[in-house]
Formats: sequence, C-alpha cells, structure tokens
Amino acid sequence: MAIFKHGDIEIEVDEDGFMQEPDLWNEEVAKALAKTESVEELTPDHWKVVNYLREYYLEFHVAPMIRMLCKKTGFSLKEIYELFPSGPAKGACKVSGLAKPTGCV
Amino acid sequence: MEKTIKKPIKITDISKSKEQLVKINPQELVPLPPPYDKPDNFPKIKQLTEEQEQQMDSSLDGFVLVGFPKSVSEEQEKKWVEKFLSGVKKLLNKEDNWTFLKPLLISLEYCTKCQTCSKACNIFQMSGEKEIYRPTYRAEVLRRIIKKYIKPGGRLFGKFYGADIDLNRNLLARLAELSYRCTLCRRCAQACSIGIDNALITREIRKIFSQELDITVPDLHKLGTVQQLETGSSTGMPPLAFKDNIEFLEEDFEEYTKMKFNLPVNVPNADILLIHNAGEYLAWPENPEAFGIILEAAGISYTLSSDLVAYDSVNYGLFYDDIQLAKIALKHAEIAKKLGVKKIVLGECGHAHKALGVVADRIFTSENNIPRESCLTLLKDIVFSGKLALDPSRNDFPVTLHDPCNIVRSMGIVEPQRKILRKICPKFREMTPHGIENYCCGGGSGFAICKSLNFPDWRMHISGRMKLKQILEAFQGDLGPENKKYVCAPCSNCKGQIRDLFKFYKVTEKSSIYYGGLVELIVNAMSDIKKPFIEWEML
Repeated sequence: MAIFKHGDIEIEVDEDGFMQEPDLWNEEVAKALAKTESVEELTPDHWKVVNYLREYYLEFHVAPMIRMLCKKTGFSLKEIYELFPSGPAKGACKVSGLAKPTGCV
Repeated sequence: MEKTIKKPIKITDISKSKEQLVKINPQELVPLPPPYDKPDNFPKIKQLTEEQEQQMDSSLDGFVLVGFPKSVSEEQEKKWVEKFLSGVKKLLNKEDNWTFLKPLLISLEYCTKCQTCSKACNIFQMSGEKEIYRPTYRAEVLRRIIKKYIKPGGRLFGKFYGADIDLNRNLLARLAELSYRCTLCRRCAQACSIGIDNALITREIRKIFSQELDITVPDLHKLGTVQQLETGSSTGMPPLAFKDNIEFLEEDFEEYTKMKFNLPVNVPNADILLIHNAGEYLAWPENPEAFGIILEAAGISYTLSSDLVAYDSVNYGLFYDDIQLAKIALKHAEIAKKLGVKKIVLGECGHAHKALGVVADRIFTSENNIPRESCLTLLKDIVFSGKLALDPSRNDFPVTLHDPCNIVRSMGIVEPQRKILRKICPKFREMTPHGIENYCCGGGSGFAICKSLNFPDWRMHISGRMKLKQILEAFQGDLGPENKKYVCAPCSNCKGQIRDLFKFYKVTEKSSIYYGGLVELIVNAMSDIKKPFIEWEML
C-alpha cells in the first residue's frame, strides 16, 4: 500500500495508484489523480465522464461496461482515450476514485 | 540492481543466498517476426520501486506476483516450514487430497528427466532456456523436499539419493513465485511419453501455499474467489448491476437492429442454464449479446441467472485452492438445481469449462451432479441445424483460431469450433501448431487478470511471446495496416491476454489485427441482421 500526496491531499492508493477508499473522493482528489494520468486539466468533457462513472459506481458498486459509458456520455471509445490516454478502465476510473477493475475485464 | 548467480543454476540454488537467480533481458529472448523484432521499440520492463523492493522478495527473476515478504523472523520461518511440510504430507494421502491424488503420485514417482517436456514448454523456450523455467525444475524441488523431509531416513541419508535440498525461507519465497511462472497449459504433460504432469505439480505447490500458509495472489484470491463468493462475481458486479447490464444489452441491440430482443433471466424449468464469465458483460458485452441472438433464433430454451455467483462462471479455485474451487462449483450446481434446468452450458471461458465441466466431477455427489456442456458443441449443432440463415461472405476477412488450453488440450474439444469457422469464414486459416498442440496465450492459470506490480511485463515478454509469434505468422505477408484481420479466441481469459499483447506491441495499430470471440462471427454472418454485428472500432 502506498500514500499518494499532492499539495494538501494525502490518500491511500494501491500499487497502480487506485484509491483504496473511494468514499474519500472529491473534486480536488480527482484533479490531483488526473495529474498522475497525464491529464493536466479536467475540462467539462472530462467531468462528464468522471461524473457519470461516479454516479454509476455509487448506485451499482462497480464500474459500468465501456459500451454503456460511451452511450451515456455520447463519447466514442476513441474520444475517451483522447480524454484519458490510458483508457476508460485504467485512466478514467482511477480519476473518478473507483477501485481497480478486477476479474476477466 | 542485484547480482545474478552465474550459470548453470542448480536445483539446490533455490535455497541459497538472497541473490537474484535469473535476470531477464529482452534482447536475449527469442526474437519476434518483423516489424516486431526490435525490443527497443517496446516498453521497457518496469522496475520495482525501492519501497516494493524492501517489502517483497524478487530474488527469483526480478518479477513479483505473490509478493512473499522480504524479511521473515526465524520463528515465522520455522512455522512456515512446518506448515509447508504438513501441506506436502496432505498432498500424498487420499483423505486430504480428494482432487488430484493419483495423477500427482504418478507424476512425482516416474519422471525420467528426459527433458522432452522442456522442448514443449513455450515459457522455457521463449525465455532463451532459463533453467528455473524448465518444467522439471519446480517439480524436482518438491521431489527432493519429499525425499529429504517426508521419507523415512531422508534427513540422514538423503544426500545419497538426491535429497540434498534445504527447506528454508529462501526456498519458500522463490518457490511461491516460481509456482506462478507456469500457465498450467499442460503442453508438457501431453508431450511426455508417460504423461508426467508438471503443471499439476505446479498447481499443487500453489495449493500448499494457499491452503496451509495463506500465501496467495491477491488478484486470484482476495479480489477473485473471495470477492466472487461475497459480491457474486470476481468483477465485483453485484446482482443489481448484472440485471441493469442485461436491460442495457437488450435496449442496445434493439436500437441497433430495430429487432425485438430478450435475454431471459431466472426462467424456471428452462432446458439450459447458460453461465458466462462475468468479465464478458463488462469488457466484451457483444459476446453475451451474440449468444442471446443465436439461442433465440435457434429456438433454444435457456435462461441466465441473477443469483449470487451464478452469473459468473469464473472459478479461480481451479488454479490454486481446492476449497475455493469446491465452494464455487457447488454454488453453480445449487442454482442450476433451484432453477430446475436439465443442464448447464458454459459460455466462452476456458477455465470455467475445466473447473465445472471436468474437475467438478470430483466434487459433486450423485445428488447434485448435473450435466454440463460446452457452448462449442451446442453452437456447432445450431450452426449445422439449418435454423440460422448464414451468409459467409459477410465474414470476408482473414480469420485465425486460438485454442484455449483448458477447452482444447485438457478437454479434447477440438473440431466443433473449426467446423463452424470453416463454414462461416471463407478466409479461415490455422495457426501452426494448433488443436491439442496449440500454444497457451500466455495468460493461462489466471495470469491474464494479474495486473499488479511488474508481473504484466513478464506476461508480455515471456509467457505471451509464443502466441504473439504464432498470430503474426498466421497472417504472414499481410502484416501491414491495410486489411483488417481477426483472431477468434473463444475464452475470456485468452481475450484479455491477447488484448494486452496487442496493446503492448501495438499490433492493431501496425497490422490491423483485431480479436474477439466465436459467437460474434456467427452473428456477423446472420443475414437476418441487416447491419454488420462486428463493430471494428469497438474491438
């Protein structure tokens, strides 16, 4: 287990930088985590993805399927990769404070 | 950087000093075909952080998956050695080893060290013949432990009959990691003239670590079987999310095709309970969707289940722990019985085929021994029944087939999937070798889902190397980006590994090679569906 520090923020993350306690997530944490994903600034398009992932996660306790993410946000998979270079599962989920995807996904 | 011991590495080196036994240098591995032949063009092997180095033992080969603790007190070492030996004893008697006793005893007793198995092992070969990856290496470590510590007189006279090994902390740390440097593909067992199964020995070593020492791989145990039994799925998807996903898939398909579409859930007394690897719903939803389209068009009576564990065919217990294996298999049978189905059909997931299709026979009693069938035989029957209108010209692109080891080598299901592809894919070509002589994708025994620390680099450089080479060779002469090509891999785990390989080596970008399952190709050929089912940009 490691500690991720950025400015005043100090959170526990796993070895790949995913939050250990997703409940401690807030917008400032998202901005800090984004920097670890080579996303310098979170634009409204980024927030659209992050907010959808957050809402879904709070309701269902798991990340949505990628197809659903694309459909509900109106972004193609390619556009999501442009927003989050390491992709929806690794990049977007990490910034949104979700746990690391597990199983055959 | 730690120093490495000079070659040749001996069996006894596993117990010695803390120096790293082997160092992997991408330049020394067997080269891939051009344009993939320059190791410098691909990501370098990730080094562990200083903190990780301090906490976890990497003295086998510099990679860490198990994460055996680096510092162990003498007291703890003594306790673990005792527990390990107690675990070895349990492996050797029928009261405690109710799964694999007989093949294990034969494999331990009769190996003649002829090394035919080493030639068959893709990991040993592609690593540039690194001694520790030899299929007989870990088996021989276990044999010597048995000779020295279990057999009468072994401690006193052991060194005269090949029992010179020290069971200590260093051995345990390296053996724990080494038991996860084999994908359990069993190509070695098939090559052996007397059927010695070094993969089984490896699996049983993992079992001792898990059941006796509580040393496991978090991706397989805590986030795998434990999470599956608690939340319903190794993906963490609870029943509520499963149901929501099903509704989404129905709407998605109806919107795309303007056809009505229903995925039945919890229908009592259907003929079949169909169980997919739950990873399919999240990562490759077109796969369960395609299953639904085919079964509905063929008029098959079936249902999915939204009960805990019953919507995820995954059973990682197969790879490391008999107790977890049994708990999950019993749950699958219980739900099938509750629904009143005639049989369970397994979706495109290799290890689920072996776990529920074969090994569960050692667990089920006459009361819950429900028939189980592979989806591949069912699909073949449907495709050849004439119930689907199929137009092969819609699959007018080069296709090759990957053989999941658990389905093909371990279960002998070789022809059904090929008969289908020969019928619906005019440009189908085989890999060399294929069928029961296939090579593992490199993600076998759960490796494809092990995404932590620097282990994925080992999968990309070593265990997946042969498969990538085979795929590239199957499309030889057409490795440019002009034409789209498809690797059919009817197994969730294999798909995950192939996806990672393609990303790591930029295969889709450079050579336009995509991957997917078998049912997607069948639906893509169905002429009743107007738009092409395969959406390349989503693959």
